Amino acid sequence: MIAMIALSLIALCVVSAGLFAVRSTNLVHSVLWLAVSLAGTSALYLMVGASFLSAIQIILYTGGVITLMLFGVMLTDRNETTKIGNPSERKRLGAVSALAVFALIASAVSSMSFTGGGSTIVHTKAIGQALLTEHLLAFEALSILLLAAMLAAIVVARRRDP
Amino acid sequence: MSHQTLALFVLLSPLVAAVVLFIVAPLRVRGPVSAGITIASTAISLGASVMLAMARMFGQSAPNVDIQAAWLPGGGKVLSTVGVYVDPVAAPMMVVVALVALCVQVYSLGYLGHEPSRDRGRYFAYHALFAFSMLGLVMAPNLLQLFLCWELVGLASYLLIGYYWTKPSAGQAALKAFWVTKFADMGLMLGLMVLFVKTGGFDWTVPPGQVLMTADAEVIAGLLFLAVVGKSAQFPMHIWLPDAMEGPTPVSALLHAATMVAAGVYLIVRAYPIFSLAPTVLTFMVYLGAFTALFAAIVAVFQDDIKKVLAFSTCSQLGYMVAALGTGSMVSGYFHLTTHAFFKALLFLTAGSLIHAVHSNSLHDMGGLWKKMKPTGVLLIIGSLALAGFPMTSGFFSKDLILEELLHAGHIVPLIAAIAAAGLTAFYMTRVVMLSLFGAPSEAAEHAHESPAVMLAPMALLGALALVGGLLHGDFAKMAGAEAAFHITPVGIIATATGLTGIAAGLWRFSPGKRAAVGSQWVSAPMRFVTWLTGNAPVDRAFALFYRRVMLTAAAGVAWFDRYIIDALINLSGWAVLKGAERFRRLQTGRPADYIYAVIAGLIALTAMGVM
Amino acid sequence: MIAVNAEVLQLLLLLSAALFSLGVYGVLTRKNIIGLLIGLELMANAVNINLVAFARHQGGTAGQVFTLFTIALTVAEVAVGLALVILLHRSRRSTETDAAAQLHG
Repeated sequence: MIAMIALSLIALCVVSAGLFAVRSTNLVHSVLWLAVSLAGTSALYLMVGASFLSAIQIILYTGGVITLMLFGVMLTDRNETTKIGNPSERKRLGAVSALAVFALIASAVSSMSFTGGGSTIVHTKAIGQALLTEHLLAFEALSILLLAAMLAAIVVARRRDP
Repeated sequence: MSHQTLALFVLLSPLVAAVVLFIVAPLRVRGPVSAGITIASTAISLGASVMLAMARMFGQSAPNVDIQAAWLPGGGKVLSTVGVYVDPVAAPMMVVVALVALCVQVYSLGYLGHEPSRDRGRYFAYHALFAFSMLGLVMAPNLLQLFLCWELVGLASYLLIGYYWTKPSAGQAALKAFWVTKFADMGLMLGLMVLFVKTGGFDWTVPPGQVLMTADAEVIAGLLFLAVVGKSAQFPMHIWLPDAMEGPTPVSALLHAATMVAAGVYLIVRAYPIFSLAPTVLTFMVYLGAFTALFAAIVAVFQDDIKKVLAFSTCSQLGYMVAALGTGSMVSGYFHLTTHAFFKALLFLTAGSLIHAVHSNSLHDMGGLWKKMKPTGVLLIIGSLALAGFPMTSGFFSKDLILEELLHAGHIVPLIAAIAAAGLTAFYMTRVVMLSLFGAPSEAAEHAHESPAVMLAPMALLGALALVGGLLHGDFAKMAGAEAAFHITPVGIIATATGLTGIAAGLWRFSPGKRAAVGSQWVSAPMRFVTWLTGNAPVDRAFALFYRRVMLTAAAGVAWFDRYIIDALINLSGWAVLKGAERFRRLQTGRPADYIYAVIAGLIALTAMGVM
Repeated sequence: MIAVNAEVLQLLLLLSAALFSLGVYGVLTRKNIIGLLIGLELMANAVNINLVAFARHQGGTAGQVFTLFTIALTVAEVAVGLALVILLHRSRRSTETDAAAQLHG
């Protein structure tokens, strides 16, 4: 029961941080709220027993993505105090649409009845073995994709010398 | 050699000559080479034609030569065929065409001897084209090939009339001839279309088991006759023929006297099975032919240009042929075509010889040439007598047959017109002879000299045929399966008497003494009015008025319709697409949010569809 | 650790839906491209939560491996996206989405 309450609190944290991330008028704050949301998600993963993914989430998202984004903000917006905000003419329609999407998914989720649910523990070792045996091809393909993305990012962002 | 091979030789040797000369420029620009090729090919044609014709005339009846190749296949059917077809109808015409063409080509060697080599080469290349086209027309196995060759002949005529292309009048005359005949050719084309719709083919005989309604036959024959009126220079489309005299005289002899203008008459002969089903058209032919015969004969009397006299005379004689065919007598018209080809070609060649000597077309620049040019003079007199229908010459037999047929068919008014025309013919030919050969020589005639043998030989050959050609009338009759032996009839006597009267009147009126008294001003004031009235000017003017008022107005109407209805519809559709695109392109805003709205809308719509 | 039974799964799915909707809202309302990317990240994260929830509900490794892949893909996406932002900023002197709206009809 306590675990359930803790889970709910973490979920609340994640959603609130997400809300601030999309509502904040300061871009740097927005990024940092995103970091909070993603870190909360990591905690969530830890709680439901996906400790490996929790670590990956921290390393890749909070470590990689957030850093990248902050760099992006710093590189483009020299004025840190720039207010981005949400233009009012878009707010209402955006909110309605988002609520519609939420209503749609939530109704679908609540209309379904799930049964069972195990408490089997999946060790990191098993994941590692699965990655390098059963899913090896996908894993290698992903490596190539990441390499390509890295090269692409460098090529695209590179300052071309005249 | 089989007859098939001979028939192919007739047609293909001029074709080869024409193709070679048109494609291989080095041969064409050398006059003597080009002339040699053309004359050799025509000689081959003539030889083969004579052999083919001999086996079909004089009582013999070789089977028809019929080589046809499928043409225009489509939908499992063959639309038409091309090939060669020699029957007793085509055979004499083949000989006439090849013979006159050969005579004229040899004659041209002398007549155009002073022309630049390059121009002579071009001239003979055109001649080869003409010979092929005309023979193709004569030997056509169906009316479609006849039509194609008909148009090719028109093209050759255009090219040859415009031979002196540096002369603006020659160019204009060529254009006029082309357009007038082209206008008339629409009739042939439309007639063929109707024929195809009604019988499913282009044959001149109605296929067995099929019946051509009289009304349909009248339409087809009427349309075909329109083309005949243009090509054979019947009133009112005769206007191109006198102008066509701008071409070299040998060309006039070949195309505009003997063969091409006779193509119209030949079309009637060929398509006689259709024409004979159309009584109204036949009657119309009688009246129009007789009118043209008389009208052109009147005009010919007042011409001072020797070639124009002969041109109008040709119109007149073609009128005879058309009238004869209208009476239902194919033989008489066809026979007159043959004899006329000989004596009219002869007359043109002698006229050319005179023109060659005095360097002028005008009769008043001639005179007294008898002393200088006896052989030409003799041949001119022979031709004139034949044309005037002097007893026992070829024209006598053929003209007599026509008059008899007119009487026989009960066409009295046309008969009287034809007899009057015969008298006038004798009169104007006597005038030509008297003015050119006798009397005081003009300045130009002082230095005249006889033409070379290369010109005289073809003339002599034609002269002989003009004299004795009439003896073939029995064979012509047999060819058509008729027994129209020659009789001496009252009509013949009257006509001959009229002709002799015309000759006598001419001799009296234009005797050297009398002529000296009146000079060239022999036409009195009332007669001047007649001259004007009957000359080309009023008809030309009528055509011009027709063109300006009717054709241009109709064209303007069509142009208006095209611009403001057809174009407007097209522009409207383009405008509608453009305006629609103006609206639709707004969908692509370029803002990411809008695309996501679209995705969400789609999501909601899909869910709604799933729920329902 | 908490076992992912039906109740927990429902909770996680609702959380995921909420996060996804927030992402949608961000993408729809942000004018700044980095703001827009943040929205995208939230949506991707929502998807990941979904995946993990089901993976833990079902047990087995496949779900978690797949989540690993999607996380890596998201990172690649962000890397390229930010490179584009820098490029856009360089050529247009702006990081507004409307600056890249040249393809509008």
